[in-house]
Amino acid sequence: MTKVLLSNIDRPEQVKLETYRASGGYRGLEKALKLDQAAVIEEVKASGLRGRGGAGFPTGMKWGFVPRNSPKPTYLLCNADESEPGTFKDRLLMERDPHLLIEGMAIACYALNCHLSYIYLRGEYEFIAHILQKALDEAYEAKILGPSLMGRDFALDIFLHLGEGAYICGEETALIESLEGYRGYPRLKPPFPAVSGFLASPTVVNNVETLCAVPWIIQNGAAAYASMGTEKSKGTKLFSVSGHVNKPGVYEVEMGYPLLDFIKNESGGIPNGRKLKAVIPGGSSVPVLTAQECESVVLDYESLAKAGSMLGSGGVIVFDETTKMPEVLSVIADFYAHESCGQCTPCREGTGWAAKILRNIVAGKGKRSDLELLLKIANMMEGKTICPLADADVMPIRSFVNKFRNEFEDFCNGH
Amino acid sequence: MIEFSQEAKRRYNAIVSHYPEKRAALIPVLHLAQREFGWISQEVADYVGELMDYPPSDVLSVATFYTLLHKKPAGKYHMEVCRNVSCWLMGAYRCVDEIKSLLRIDVGGMTEDGRFSLNLTECLGSCGTAPAMQVGDRYYENLTPQSLAEIIEKLKND
Amino acid sequence: MPKLTINDREIEARDGAMIIQAAAEAGIEIPHYCYHQDLPVDGNCRMCLVEVEKMPKLTPACATSVSEGMVVNTHNERVKEAVRGVLEFLLVNHPVDCPVCDQAGECRLQDYYMVYGLHTSEIPLEMKVRKRKVIDLGPMVVLDTERCVLCSRCIRFCDHVTGTGELQFFGRGDHVEIGTFEDRPILNPYSGNVVDICPVGALTSRDFRFKCRVWFLHSTDSVCAGCSTGCNARIDHRDGAIFRMIPRRNPDVNKSWLCDEGRLSIHEIGRGERVRRALIKGRDGMQAPASLGEALDAANTGLREAARKYGGAAILGVGSASATNEALFLLARYVKGQLGGDQLEFRLDSEDRKALEPEDKILRRFDKHPNSMGALALGFAGDEIGGIEGAISKAREGKIKAAVILYYKPLVTRETDALAEARIAELVSLLEFSVLFAAHKADWQTDAGVLLPVAAWTEEEGTYTNYQSRVQAALQAINPPGDAQPAWSLLAALLEASGDTSVWSSSTDVLSDMKQAVSAFAGIDLDSVYSQGALISTNGAL
Repeated sequence: MTKVLLSNIDRPEQVKLETYRASGGYRGLEKALKLDQAAVIEEVKASGLRGRGGAGFPTGMKWGFVPRNSPKPTYLLCNADESEPGTFKDRLLMERDPHLLIEGMAIACYALNCHLSYIYLRGEYEFIAHILQKALDEAYEAKILGPSLMGRDFALDIFLHLGEGAYICGEETALIESLEGYRGYPRLKPPFPAVSGFLASPTVVNNVETLCAVPWIIQNGAAAYASMGTEKSKGTKLFSVSGHVNKPGVYEVEMGYPLLDFIKNESGGIPNGRKLKAVIPGGSSVPVLTAQECESVVLDYESLAKAGSMLGSGGVIVFDETTKMPEVLSVIADFYAHESCGQCTPCREGTGWAAKILRNIVAGKGKRSDLELLLKIANMMEGKTICPLADADVMPIRSFVNKFRNEFEDFCNGH
Repeated sequence: MIEFSQEAKRRYNAIVSHYPEKRAALIPVLHLAQREFGWISQEVADYVGELMDYPPSDVLSVATFYTLLHKKPAGKYHMEVCRNVSCWLMGAYRCVDEIKSLLRIDVGGMTEDGRFSLNLTECLGSCGTAPAMQVGDRYYENLTPQSLAEIIEKLKND
Repeated sequence: MPKLTINDREIEARDGAMIIQAAAEAGIEIPHYCYHQDLPVDGNCRMCLVEVEKMPKLTPACATSVSEGMVVNTHNERVKEAVRGVLEFLLVNHPVDCPVCDQAGECRLQDYYMVYGLHTSEIPLEMKVRKRKVIDLGPMVVLDTERCVLCSRCIRFCDHVTGTGELQFFGRGDHVEIGTFEDRPILNPYSGNVVDICPVGALTSRDFRFKCRVWFLHSTDSVCAGCSTGCNARIDHRDGAIFRMIPRRNPDVNKSWLCDEGRLSIHEIGRGERVRRALIKGRDGMQAPASLGEALDAANTGLREAARKYGGAAILGVGSASATNEALFLLARYVKGQLGGDQLEFRLDSEDRKALEPEDKILRRFDKHPNSMGALALGFAGDEIGGIEGAISKAREGKIKAAVILYYKPLVTRETDALAEARIAELVSLLEFSVLFAAHKADWQTDAGVLLPVAAWTEEEGTYTNYQSRVQAALQAINPPGDAQPAWSLLAALLEASGDTSVWSSSTDVLSDMKQAVSAFAGIDLDSVYSQGALISTNGAL
């Protein structure tokens, strides 16, 4: 299978510019620089590439929203705040192939006429910051970045910016707010970042994986990329697999790969001959699928949506038959309570309240009526807030309680 | 009165130069301040506020939003064990218990010599190498009680 | 002017208005906590969610601008359920300590609970997040973080109105608290406003705390008399005692704000002894109590005698920048019409200049009197006299022999007040005969021929002209002490006693006459005077 993202991931010293170039690196950028800026955007549009951070918004279209000839500068921000539980794919790309990201960003910056760009890297990944910084330094030294992008009359600076621990900063407007030096509160939309984002200027926020796909698309052409995957979910996607599997890790597959085959073939199946109980297919914010539901699912945006879940960030968490689902939900609910920024009432109060109820249930102190209360809280939160964090709590709460109700009731027995 | 070292001052100027507006440098400067002073005390918030010309309340408000900025003193080795789903599935709490008993501290606590402190943290992006913990700018992954004992022994003698 | 439909009613809205504003202007109230018309929109409380046709999700009315043909529903089941949910969330961790909360009776949590909530609490007490209570935040404010709904109004006030940034959020999620750095006091000169804008009992007034349940208070519309800005205010009082002054919104004057000095100026009236009875100086040079009738007679007789003896030019009318337009108008009418005088003055400390000078960028002005512009418009700045110093020299030279003087001590005090008062005292001491209208007692008043007790601000109805030349009405909240009466009323009696045939039964009567008689006031609309204020014509002189 063609690999767009991971073809060089195991090459020794791929982090070095020299190695990266030897593997064909920066040829996408060279090619892009020979094209019109608009043509680069068209190519990305035609590839069908969609945002790999979780929302799946078409990347080329996002770039197209940036007003041309704005008197203000345009900014490209790379969202490297990878924090969705179950997701560790961006980390792999940056750790092992940092120049791929830099090349992707450089192409995007050229297309967007952006001369100043930041990588917003989650603070926990400080060890990756060292790797990225080295790669950036090399790129500057080789005059790839700096006053003239690969010798062209186009200045480009890319800086690394470290977050300091806040899941919400992965939400693009919170990321912008945080990059500006404030608490990471998501902003009201409109205005959308493409019009008024970082420092009230046109801003594009793209995920690491998204940007890393760009050099391949430019080099091999949109058609080649679009020929992979399914009709609406083009290309390849990285899936981070964790939990009860023999070979947890990051795998690149074409969109449309059947979920169960993926678990069996790529990640080596479930250990100890146990049976599958459930899968969270796209990071903790998406509805859980029962083993039975998994049977008909393929890994693309549409199939997962049809099954009532989402592709999200591609964080696949696998649970075997021994897993106590109420305990999993309690861990997840604690996470959202901890990460709620506290701005909107329903999220601030709802995530905390739900987490407490679940802790009670797991401790054997819950009542059956608590399950109705949890579902009520989910309804009270859903769709009522500025950003989707509350909804990201609602998805697991509702799906876990409804799909594994008997387990929850068992925990509540005697009350 | 606390003050940045000469090296930190140089670093501060470099950070500020990366942004079109000074405000954007606030969080990286807080990171620098934590490296310099250990944690973001009120005194540190006051100092950073003065340095950058923001009210100290504003600076502290920002600092209290971000979990990596410590609002109380942390050990030289601040161990943050991931408690999220995959790490939890793979035995994160067994690791926490191991650390607790090896160091005789609770979650949120610090050893008397100030060498180690322990906290739980949210997803570190180590789900494929769970359970995991972060200590400063290092990750320790695929933890087991045995490997933890070795890690702690090594850090003790570091 | 887009047309839209709200709850099946077609309304027209201002361009760029948010749904919540358009609705309010059409008389449709949408519940809210964080939205405040004089602060930037934040959209955090989610209480104002409404349904807009073609929008899949409910949308905050405070942050959604109106557009042509928009169809909004603010009260269908879907919206009500959402609002009920938000309210339930707000009460999840709230201590519900209404019995000991000063906000009770004017609390948005209580009010909306009665309309939308009425649910039973489903969270056990021990599950609630506990937070800090009774934190002293300086001379004006007490903070209870447990009652806070985190709407950020107070934070936005300190960030955007005063620019001082004292109040901030600390922490994250349901542990977020508002507070100041190290619990430092909020010392900006507008700190009291955070109490007014707090929709719940998180920020309460240190001054008003535990003084009175709000439902026992009566409210009277007034205008702050603390400086020439003339902030619109509301006086809350009970049984003749004033408990607090809070701002009344006037977008053209003070928006929704008051300064702290103005807010606390209500206490100044009660400071020092009041003049409760009239006093007449006898042949022995000693003042003796008299009835108002006797005192007015003595005043009129004394002044007329001086006028006859020395001529009208020796009679001076001294107005006060703290007197109402009505009192000043009648004073001028009396001095000019009845005593043949043509000299009027009011300036003790360059009020005419200071009235326009801002003390800061928000509200306060250097002139700590409410009506310098009224005094100017009514001709009290005599070129010939040139302020109190001029009056004093003329008295010393024997050119001025008698005067009618209105004097009120300023309600917002400054170091220079003593000097201003000393100048009035000096003038009185130099005159052969003086009639002094005063509200507060002072030693120097023993030099006055007749001392008349007058009502202070809040004790009378009248109008003041602010720095913008805006005439604004302050209504009577409480009764004046003893025999004291509004200055205009005493002057009306003097005019009547000396033969003026006009009859004024209220300050409004006087204002109507003033409108006829004084060209600057000719164009004012009386209804406006009692609402947003009415600008007088300044003939380009100001």
